[in-house]
Amino acid sequence: MDERNILDHQFVVAAYTVTWVIQLGYLAYLGLKWRSEKRNAERKSRPAR
Amino acid sequence: MKKVLLTLFPLVTVLLMVQGYHQAIYVAPDDAMQGYVFRIIYYHVPSASVAFLFFFISLIGSVGFLAFRRSSPNRAQIADAWALAGAEVGVVFCTVVLTTGPLWGRRAWGIWWTWDARLTTTLVLWLIYVSYLLLRRFAAGPQMQTLAAVLGIFGALDVPIVYMSNRWWRTQHPAPVFGGDQDSGMKDPTMVHALLWNMLAWFCWGMLVLFLRYQVERRHQQYAAIEAREALEASA
Amino acid sequence: MSSTLWTHLAKDLRIEWRSKDAINSMLFFALLVVVLFSISFDPRGAFAQQIAGGVLCVATMFASVSALNQAWAREIRHQVMDAQRMAPASGAELFLAKVLANFLFVSIVQVALAPVFLVMYNLRVAGQAWLLALVLPLGTWALVANGTFFAALAIRSRNRELLLPLILFPIFLPALLGMVQATTSILTGDSDPWLWIKMLTGYDIIFTTVSLLLFDVVFHAE
Repeated sequence: MDERNILDHQFVVAAYTVTWVIQLGYLAYLGLKWRSEKRNAERKSRPAR
Repeated sequence: MKKVLLTLFPLVTVLLMVQGYHQAIYVAPDDAMQGYVFRIIYYHVPSASVAFLFFFISLIGSVGFLAFRRSSPNRAQIADAWALAGAEVGVVFCTVVLTTGPLWGRRAWGIWWTWDARLTTTLVLWLIYVSYLLLRRFAAGPQMQTLAAVLGIFGALDVPIVYMSNRWWRTQHPAPVFGGDQDSGMKDPTMVHALLWNMLAWFCWGMLVLFLRYQVERRHQQYAAIEAREALEASA
Repeated sequence: MSSTLWTHLAKDLRIEWRSKDAINSMLFFALLVVVLFSISFDPRGAFAQQIAGGVLCVATMFASVSALNQAWAREIRHQVMDAQRMAPASGAELFLAKVLANFLFVSIVQVALAPVFLVMYNLRVAGQAWLLALVLPLGTWALVANGTFFAALAIRSRNRELLLPLILFPIFLPALLGMVQATTSILTGDSDPWLWIKMLTGYDIIFTTVSLLLFDVVFHAE
């Protein structure tokens, strides 16, 4: 009975962890994209050589 | 005013997340039948709702792009940015649904997966929008947005058909139904409250990420437009 | 309207008749898929009856994709697309002609494959055999109509051969389900295929209509 509870607990932890890994991973990916777009914009706003 | 909102909203979202987590893990009781593992629902169901909503937003964007692309190009670009953002963030949330679901199912019903109407439709939805994102990545040139918009419409059209056909399949060949009573099991008001808190929290998180993705895409569109113009002038 | 349709259709049929490229490659590919499945799943007795429908449909799918990938390549090579764009005729006729031609080719492959199936799977039709003549064309039409449309969608992409199945298969899934369930229920006589036949018909009508409406959008995409 107790073993069942431990496994249940582990699965809940796994589910919540997976959720946050996916969400925060995507947020990090977005952050990188944001940075690259900012760099692009800066390059374009500089006067043409 | 806008700056205040921009800094306040993420803060509120984080607070809602903390509240949602607290509700899910510490306030809500164990389920009578499923025990502790039922708590996965507080992340699983809100993610599904947000995913479906965002796929719907993507559909509106696709339709809007096709409708405006000749008459009002700027509005069309905005629509296309929403279409892409909705699809991409929708896929992220849908991935969460497809990973938390089996974890829940394995403990609650003994099986990782079953091909019932709900799960199959969610998987197919995920496949359709991943293929949409692949088309956007692989297709070249200015017509890519048009092609993607058309695919978006086809994909959205397919979803109810997938659901219905799978339901018919399962009336003929019954199979285990995942979470058939997950809604009816919500008789305890504390559980309902916990779910609502997490619905709100994940909705806010989703809107935040969606908005960020939309902004990134708008910037990218503007950059691409400048590049295109420069290429045109250079060749003139 | 129909004269343009006939022109395109006659052209496609004539070209295929001379080279027989598409039909030959489809036939061989389908046969290979059937053999692969047979080795993987060892069809015997009642089990063979259960899976024959599925194997036939999946073999048709893979075989069709190999032909569909080439569906528009020839047009692009010979600037037919540009000529069509300049003509006052609607792109829908070109599309419909292509679908009809491909439908014919895939159906020929299925008919050629049928005796192979009967032999390799020791098939007996427990239900009404004539229904197969209704189910298979309906399913094939769904595959070919959507496939031709998406082939046109994918044509301007880098990995067009890879992209076509990736965007076609998820959307084709309900039609696959209908085709397999209907075929299996006809072969085994276990259940009523009419639900699936109606579903397939509905699917065909919906997606053919949407494809015809949206083809010009794709064709003239700037």
